[in-house]
Amino acid sequence: MNASPDLKPISNLLRLLAKDYFIFAPQKIGEIIKVAEIKSASDIDWSGQMPENPWKEIFLPPCERIFDLSGGIKESKKQYPKIAAVGMNVLDLKALALFDQVFGSDTYYRRRRNNTLIVGYSADWPIDYKKFKVFSHTYEEDILEHLSFDVFLAKLKNGKLKIYSGSEKGQNILEASGSKDYKHIEFAGPIQEKGVDKRVLKLQGVVWQSANNKIWDELGKICLACGKCSIVCPTCFCFDFKDNSDPNNNCRQRCWGNCFYNDFSLVAGGNKELDTIKKKIFFWYVHKFVRIPQEYGLPGCVSCNRCTHTCPVGIDIAKNIRRILKGNK
Amino acid sequence: MLNIYQPQPVKIISSTQESADTRLLRLQFIDKKLQADFSFLPGQFVQIGLPEWGECPISICSSPYYSSRYFELTIRNVGALTNKLNSLREGDTVFIRGPYGNGFDVEKFRDLPLLLIGGGCGFVPLRSLVIDYIEERLPNAVLKIFYGCKDESTLLFKKEYAKWNRQAELNVILEKPSKQWAGAKGMITDLLSSKKITANSVAVLVGPPIMYHFVVKELKKKGLKDENIYLSLERKMYCGLGVCQHCAIGPYYVCKDGPIFTYADLKNIPGAI
Repeated sequence: MNASPDLKPISNLLRLLAKDYFIFAPQKIGEIIKVAEIKSASDIDWSGQMPENPWKEIFLPPCERIFDLSGGIKESKKQYPKIAAVGMNVLDLKALALFDQVFGSDTYYRRRRNNTLIVGYSADWPIDYKKFKVFSHTYEEDILEHLSFDVFLAKLKNGKLKIYSGSEKGQNILEASGSKDYKHIEFAGPIQEKGVDKRVLKLQGVVWQSANNKIWDELGKICLACGKCSIVCPTCFCFDFKDNSDPNNNCRQRCWGNCFYNDFSLVAGGNKELDTIKKKIFFWYVHKFVRIPQEYGLPGCVSCNRCTHTCPVGIDIAKNIRRILKGNK
Repeated sequence: MLNIYQPQPVKIISSTQESADTRLLRLQFIDKKLQADFSFLPGQFVQIGLPEWGECPISICSSPYYSSRYFELTIRNVGALTNKLNSLREGDTVFIRGPYGNGFDVEKFRDLPLLLIGGGCGFVPLRSLVIDYIEERLPNAVLKIFYGCKDESTLLFKKEYAKWNRQAELNVILEKPSKQWAGAKGMITDLLSSKKITANSVAVLVGPPIMYHFVVKELKKKGLKDENIYLSLERKMYCGLGVCQHCAIGPYYVCKDGPIFTYADLKNIPGAI
């Protein structure tokens, strides 16, 4: 399943993208697959395996200048690079659909996002996905109309690519590349017609009811609160504002936050809502499985399992969710 | 596209010392149209900040009655930014975004006996309701104010008590008063347990978390309904719009769904109060 698809039908497309865009794609670096800027189209990893890092840096940089602070507070004027995100899998596109909702009225996100071209890709489901499903759906065409992308490439069993466009921008670049054999999918909003996914709703109730489950005491004892899960999570987007008072570069920045770090909930006077690791880890799960579904009707976890793979003490999100589901039967 | 994080410059019209560590700032937008269009509900807050010093959320303590002319914030020295803000004087410029949050359910308060219960500097947003009442925006309400503080030096808005007392019942209790203090001595719960409070009252609580626990217990004894007990929460926040996640409690954001919640909303959320 990990063989590269037949790339001939998109060789022109990749050439066009390379001309106009900085291309970010999964690439194999040693034994690890990472999302990074590529130098040549041949660097792209088409195995369909989950990259170790998420794509979110492209849309929400770890630290971004938002206001200039000399002579008042003025919006920083900047050029947003044209980026093509090539090879985003369905789960990562789910996370992007959530970001589009969360940051829909955010000037900086919108501008950056408008300058980005999304090329989705699927080569079967990622291996772990079968063991841990947060949402339920069938195959591509059912899910594609609820994802936001410009071009989507689905690898078929015979190794050929099936090409879809998902926007005018996508259609234009496919046409320009000489591609005729593609199907257009009209974006129908991030939520399916039948309403919020049943599995998502079920988990929302079960995780919220689990506050007294002893799993949280156990996790509170083994979790190091290192915050790596939050850094690799494609749906973690919390942030801080930070003022830089360096006279040569005084600016207000927006930087990634991390709910595992001690200053996350610290208020003046020393009170802290999240004063134990147990509370922090429960807070993180509530964000994924309760708050996000409640607010956006979308899953706050896309079952990519990055957190499990990165956790230094082996905390396994799929196992924990299975246990919580059992405990609440 | 409108930048949702863009603060606007406002001028300090006056800054007066309220207590040893607290000042009352009267503010006015430099852009006259922004001031004329400015409106808020009691209980809402703004993000106030200065370039290079960041921003912090502060409850508005003036009445919407005057919102087209000015608004007021009471600021206590608790950190670098608040110390800096309190060092500023008339004519200085600060930056504001907002108002944010849900504010008090003023319509519901209109025809029911209203209890305003404030502890320490938590009393600040309640002043907005008191002035509203005095300006006859809550014409039929029976208003009782309960204010607990550590000692005389920490009491806020002292100059206004005489006026408040003419149209409302003001009860003050001090935990550690000086020998000269002729009023009640003890905790705010002592004050509440000694007064006649009817079960159909609406109570609004603002103060430190520890106070909520005991005051809610006392109000439940008096027969108040969970949905008639309002509490204002304080949490860390950056965006004020329910995005940055710092102020989340259970399924809610304090900045957007709050800062005012009913006890019915909060009683099943671990750690909320």
